[in-house]
Amino acid sequence: MLEPAAYGIQTKKFVMWLFITADAATFGAILFGYGYLRYGSPNWSTPFAFSPTIINGLVMTVILLTSSLTMLFAVSSARAGERSTTIGWLGATIALGLLFAGLHLHEWFNMFHEGWSVSANPLGGSTLFGATFFSITGLHLLHVVSGVVAIGVIALMYQRGRLDASYIETTGLYWHFVDLVWMFVFPLVYLLNAH
Amino acid sequence: METADAHDSPSRNLYIGVWVGLILIVAIETTLTYAHLSSGMLLTVLLILAIVEAGIALRYFMHLKYEPPALTWTLVPAVVFALLMMNQFWADAQRMLNMRFPSP
Repeated sequence: MLEPAAYGIQTKKFVMWLFITADAATFGAILFGYGYLRYGSPNWSTPFAFSPTIINGLVMTVILLTSSLTMLFAVSSARAGERSTTIGWLGATIALGLLFAGLHLHEWFNMFHEGWSVSANPLGGSTLFGATFFSITGLHLLHVVSGVVAIGVIALMYQRGRLDASYIETTGLYWHFVDLVWMFVFPLVYLLNAH
Repeated sequence: METADAHDSPSRNLYIGVWVGLILIVAIETTLTYAHLSSGMLLTVLLILAIVEAGIALRYFMHLKYEPPALTWTLVPAVVFALLMMNQFWADAQRMLNMRFPSP
């Protein structure tokens, strides 16, 4: 006999929540590590100018928030059984995710060009700035790219009728979590390093 | 046994309202960054606003508002507890800042 589902929700959704809980602790730990190193470094650099870095960060934030909105619309459409509309919203979410990743990589390459790396600070301050900045944003970017791939796979399988709406909702949970993490990364890593 | 999740779905207008609200909070964060607050005050305010944003996203975007309350009461305190325990490191960061060897 099968056991009843925990908390009365689908098992795959519950497992996604458990993953999100563990991943939240991971991001929490890496942000605490950043705070620890920043607090303990007397020569911390605050290199970000309003233009272009903070403006770029604002645009990236709006893009990621909008991608959460399109993901919600995809879930609503999937629940209503509107298959082609669902695929359209999932496509919009993927496009916004790719745009976010593209802007992020563009920013990274600009910083590399200025002499920043995980072990170099062209301003002469603590090299830990680059180490923490690229670690935190890199881990987040990895989550974004993974999410784009996951949404693409789920969209293809949903289009072929092999998955139902619940899979889109579960994938949406992950995507909203990626958005939620950025709500901490942007103020703590970008705004607090603005000059 | 799998059970279908039959929680109420919020309207698209509510989602758009929440999306606008979150963008407004980000705009407030950015404005405060250039309001010449002390670094401690700015950190506190930005953290509070980020937690408010996360709470809104959890409730409406991630639908925790529409899930059984027991799910929230299981998951959220666990994460909060783990994050609170990490605060023990601040004392060591203070030591790192103030107990350096003198430069030769």
